[in-house]
Amino acid sequence: MTKSRREIIGIKSVSKIYNLGDTIVKALDNVSLSINENDYISIMGPSGSGKSTLMNIIGCLDVPTKGTYKFNNEKISDMNDNQLANIRNEKIGFVFQTFNLLPKLNSIQNVEVPLVYSSLGRAERSLKAKKALKIVGLEDRMSHKPNELSGGQRQRVAIARALVNEPSIILADEPTGNLDSKSGTEILNFFDSLHKAGNTLIIVTHEDSVAKRAKRRIEIFDGKITLDE
Amino acid sequence: MNRIINYLIDVIRGVLFYFSQTKLRTALTLLGITVGVSSIIAIMTVLATFEKTTDQIVSDVRTNVFYITRENPIEVSFGDNNKWARNKPKITWNEYEQLKRSLKLIENMSAVVSEEPSDRTFSVGKKEFKSRIQSFWAADGDILSLYKYDIIDGRNIQEVDINNRSRVAIVGSDIKKELFPFKNPVGETIKIDNIPFEIIALTEEKGELAGQSMDSMVGIPISTYLKYFGGNWRRADLQLVLESESIENIDDATDEAIGVFRAIRKIPPGDPNNFYIATNDQLMDTFGEFTGYLKTFVGLITGISLLVAGIGIANIMLVSLNERIKEIGIRKALGARRSDIFLQFLIEAILISLLGGIIGIFIGLSFGNVVALFLEQSPVIPIDWVFYSLQICASMGIIFGLYPAIKASKLNPIDSMRFD
Ligand SMILES: Nc1ncnc2c1ncn2[C@@H]1O[C@H](COP(=O)(O)OP(=O)(O)OP(=O)(O)O)[C@@H](O)[C@H]1O
Ligand SMILES: [Mg+2]
Repeated sequence: MTKSRREIIGIKSVSKIYNLGDTIVKALDNVSLSINENDYISIMGPSGSGKSTLMNIIGCLDVPTKGTYKFNNEKISDMNDNQLANIRNEKIGFVFQTFNLLPKLNSIQNVEVPLVYSSLGRAERSLKAKKALKIVGLEDRMSHKPNELSGGQRQRVAIARALVNEPSIILADEPTGNLDSKSGTEILNFFDSLHKAGNTLIIVTHEDSVAKRAKRRIEIFDGKITLDE
Repeated sequence: MNRIINYLIDVIRGVLFYFSQTKLRTALTLLGITVGVSSIIAIMTVLATFEKTTDQIVSDVRTNVFYITRENPIEVSFGDNNKWARNKPKITWNEYEQLKRSLKLIENMSAVVSEEPSDRTFSVGKKEFKSRIQSFWAADGDILSLYKYDIIDGRNIQEVDINNRSRVAIVGSDIKKELFPFKNPVGETIKIDNIPFEIIALTEEKGELAGQSMDSMVGIPISTYLKYFGGNWRRADLQLVLESESIENIDDATDEAIGVFRAIRKIPPGDPNNFYIATNDQLMDTFGEFTGYLKTFVGLITGISLLVAGIGIANIMLVSLNERIKEIGIRKALGARRSDIFLQFLIEAILISLLGGIIGIFIGLSFGNVVALFLEQSPVIPIDWVFYSLQICASMGIIFGLYPAIKASKLNPIDSMRFD
């Protein structure tokens, strides 16, 4: 047994409800979840089951309709905009399902964006961004814009951007969905090494091979957690 | 402090990068401000040129000289007081002679009538002076020294010419150049409206002032003018040119002239003068007043056009805000604070209006100085207005960028990221 670790994410009876006039969508339905430091979690579930919704709430991008979310034992609902921005910037690296790269910026500029908001000098920024791009194997595509990159390359830029600020928590929403098995494996190997270094990883995936690397497996169905082991 | 500056440089670089990615939109936004600022700067440059020119005119005429006329020449030429001026009595020969007898502080005094420019024909033999003569004057006394013309050959108009109403004329160097290219004009005959005059003097070249040649000039005795061109002595409307002994006592001399002239005209105490007395200072003041009005007017017009340009900025900022909601969402998701987004948009608005202002200043200076070139003036830069323009632009950027900036900063990350 591993020694008991500190809880960093505490979700209690959280629901996310979209009221679309005639229909009500419960994207998350009374979900409770506790995540400790250095957890390595995979989240699986069919399309539309609420995986991205959960990730957005964990990543402080979205707020629950009901329930409480404590990050580092502090209620998110009590934090002001700047505190949330700081968490997003320093504590969490988010790999979006749809990448969300800025179309006018090239790879290195895209990767630099989180650093721009963390008061780093220009030289240091580009150094870190280059390092992150090297990790995902894109050192030869630094000045390409997103529309000049393949889907898999875009995904890797998005991963590099999530890693660049060396956040302690990585939230990755299908990070290998567009990658061939070789570069997918490289990324996952790197995630494994992050876990060994003490980081917390939460990865949404459809692939069993990805889920097997994780130490904890969560399954979601219709907005409810159906498995957590 | 250093951190803040570095941060601002970052934001500015980001904004400039964004401009470079959206050149057409940036150019269109610039246009409104550029037009407004360039027009204000062009007009202010022209006015500065005019001011310089009048300064020259005034310093060119001796400063212990002042004038008594029926009306204020500048106000009349700008039109509004004409009716009022017509009700004032003309300055008569009789009044001139009484003044001349009574004034103690005046060293030199002339009565002048002048046509500026003249529509008469000036010819030698069959050859006619092609353009209009800029100044055809007729005077009594030593007007040449009052107007600072030097005779290079010949003699001045004398007492005897006045008394005999002699047909004698002094000509400027333009007349020699055109009508006597290879000859000394002194002693030759020039015909004014076909009446022959003997040329008694040629004056030294004075060059141009405010785009007009000072040498396109012909002068004759005032008595002769009134006999041949002016009709009745009593109807002549004289301008009096007076010179005090020194610059120091010009105020006393003008006071004396006013007092004596009021006595001659029997104006009751408390009534206003029914004549106009102008020192060079007053001429300058009147001109200054006129340019003051013009500046206010121009200021108003540009104010309105800048307001329109400003609304244009706000509009484009709001449009670009809509197009960039996704970008704002992504930036917020990656850690941008409200203040980061707010500053990004505000600085964008300020930079674009400053940029438009700077371009406008350059265009305005170029246009204005083309006019200065025509007036044969060295280039002028109305520094004060350059600064005002920059200030106006910066505040416009702040005012019209504020609303879009606040709106952008309040967007919530997840909804904006989903926006398409
Ligand atoms: N802004 C929204 N308005 C209305 N309904 C929404 C909104 N966002 C998500 N939903 C709904 O919430 C449910 C969960 O969506 P979510 O994106 O979390 O699914 P997912 O598990 O990530 O699916 P996938 O594997 O396809 O990415 C879906 O049924 C979706 O239609
Ligand atoms: Mg999803």
